[in-house]
Amino acid sequence: MRPGTLVRLALAGTRTDTARVVLTALSALLATLAGLAALAVLAIDKPPGDAWAKSEQYGNALLREPGLRGGTTFALLMLTIPVLALAGQCARLGAPARDRRLAGLRLAGATPGQVTRLAVLETGVAALLGTLAGLGVYLGGRELLHRPDGQGQLALPTDVLPSAGAMAAVVLGLPVVAALATALMLRTVTTSPLGVSRKAPRERGPRPWAGLLIAVGLAAFIAVRPVLFQFEGNDEVLAWLVPLLFVAGGLTAMIGVVIGTGWISYTCGRLLRRHGRHPAALLAAGRLMADPWAGSRTFAALLAALIFGGGAAALRAFFAAQDQLDREQSRLGGVDQAADSFYLSTMDLVDAAVAVAVLIAAGGLMVALVEGIVARRRAYAALVATGVPRATLSRSVAWQALAPAVPAILLALTVGTLLGRGLFPKATTGGSSTEVCNATAALCADPATRAQYTRVVETPPVEQVPDVPLEHLAWLGAGALAAVLVTVGVGLLFLRVSTALDELRAA
Amino acid sequence: MTQLQARGVVRAYGPTPALRGVTLDVAEGEIVAVTGPSGCGKSTLLHCLAGILRPDVGEVTWRGHRIDTWSEAARSRLRRTEFGVLFQFGQLVAELTAAENVALPLLLAGTGRREARTAALTWLERFGVADLADVRPGEMSGGQQQRCATARALVTEPRVLFADEPTGALDTLTGEQVLTQLVRLAREQHTAVVLVTHEPRIAAYADREIVLRDGLVDHTGLGLDVPLAGGAR
Repeated sequence: MRPGTLVRLALAGTRTDTARVVLTALSALLATLAGLAALAVLAIDKPPGDAWAKSEQYGNALLREPGLRGGTTFALLMLTIPVLALAGQCARLGAPARDRRLAGLRLAGATPGQVTRLAVLETGVAALLGTLAGLGVYLGGRELLHRPDGQGQLALPTDVLPSAGAMAAVVLGLPVVAALATALMLRTVTTSPLGVSRKAPRERGPRPWAGLLIAVGLAAFIAVRPVLFQFEGNDEVLAWLVPLLFVAGGLTAMIGVVIGTGWISYTCGRLLRRHGRHPAALLAAGRLMADPWAGSRTFAALLAALIFGGGAAALRAFFAAQDQLDREQSRLGGVDQAADSFYLSTMDLVDAAVAVAVLIAAGGLMVALVEGIVARRRAYAALVATGVPRATLSRSVAWQALAPAVPAILLALTVGTLLGRGLFPKATTGGSSTEVCNATAALCADPATRAQYTRVVETPPVEQVPDVPLEHLAWLGAGALAAVLVTVGVGLLFLRVSTALDELRAA
Repeated sequence: MTQLQARGVVRAYGPTPALRGVTLDVAEGEIVAVTGPSGCGKSTLLHCLAGILRPDVGEVTWRGHRIDTWSEAARSRLRRTEFGVLFQFGQLVAELTAAENVALPLLLAGTGRREARTAALTWLERFGVADLADVRPGEMSGGQQQRCATARALVTEPRVLFADEPTGALDTLTGEQVLTQLVRLAREQHTAVVLVTHEPRIAAYADREIVLRDGLVDHTGLGLDVPLAGGAR
């Protein structure tokens, strides 16, 4: 097949195909922005001086403090997870119609390899358009936002640019990853010339092995502190071991929660089938059991954001406990220390990132739910025609979304909190002695009189286990549930349209 | 006795007219075939009679009550309780087993789960597919699926069964087997059947044939006397 023909066929299709291409490009644009922003933070030059010298050209502590820049980069990279999940959801939009189109091409003589290349090319081109647009938005935004304030400080790192190689890696790498992911997804789906897409049939439901992954992830986080003590001073080992434990533990736990949602969906379906009395519950149960991984796919980004949010909540609780403990110790030593809000205000920014991630994840959730409804519109229309009330179908869709969502949200928040708690199990202070001089500055400064007025205050070591941030977690859970409810509400609007009896004519 | 009537029914899809004034009566227990070439308005007429679509002009009455003025909810209730609807394909819920699919209308009507399953098994038995009770539609042949769908359409013992090309996706032999069972069971419980088809052989199962052309009744005739298995006719 000539390249021109390949491109023309890849970009042909219905309005749904166009929507898929546009949404894929949009998510690639967002991922590019997050990636380039992370690279820009990494590109900030170290000012001369020691390793902790601040970059005073920035007004924002997250950019100014070298110790916080790694975390900022990590948070920005974390934002790409829901964005990539959104891209994954978009890639599934209208997949049955696309499979029928590809089957038509097979009938016309295209080989399986050629139709796979078509699908890969469609995703790759859409993602490339998105990354190029993202690069344009980034460069344009950089110029627009480069406005130093009255003190000559910048709000964003608009004075630095990632290296050309790094930018090229993002702009070209994302489409390649998207195309490879599409090829991987099509590997298990063979589009036959008869228009039948078959997957290996599921013999039994998922097993709760994901719990093991969660346990391994938690263990990795818990191991960080002992490793720090064990290899104290051995910077060479710590430089790779701690980040490895951190990233591997976080990812393993995240994968565990996402896979575990498949088991949760299946179990919810089984319980609904056994105990549900209303046909809506029966319909939802059938769907949940037939494709339990739909829950994993649908909620993956939201759950990732919630794990991050739960970890951030645990971290905030630790900082609050540590600050309180430090102040109490200072008071014992006769010094009235004001509350240090630096870390807590930094956590506000982390929470803002979590909120953005939840919003992006809700977008992916909406795409997935609407896609599921639209793909089944003929079956829904047939049910309505036979007298099944739309309210029953609406309740069924709501059951399908909410039954696995509630336990999955609870699981994600619990795992996130445990990860944070594993890293910072308790606030500690004290265990030292301090000389306190109770006299005027002159007397204290004079070596002859200083000893007379000086006493040694022994501060015993004190440990405090931070409170479980129940209120914070409740807000996060409520926010996530609200996002799911809004998504279901929008999905039900599409259900109304999709059950229009005209769909019966579109056989 | 006439129980379902259409009077001067007109229905268009945008600028394209599908029905241009159709009048039709269906008596209790009568089997009526609606035939005609593609695009003549057969399915639209069936949808109007079943209360799935509202006519633009004209009226549809069920036992003396105009149903075309009823709300969507009321018409849904009517379809659930008094009517059965059968399509060519794609009507079974893919995620539910055959027994659950057949039990669904009963569950919607408030029947208990156990009673609904018992009734579903009875109907699957009547259609010779009881062994598929716990099998999902995706694992059945087209003929088996259509037998389950027919069992589902009849499980509430409706007064009228609307069947839109019910054998259109089946081979000749399977189609005839399904239709033979459908007609026999409909006659046993005095269920009227409105059967849309473009196949003369299928229309021959009916008591009366109504031929549509360009959205109008072209002519009406008697169905051919096709002997049915078991001497049901």
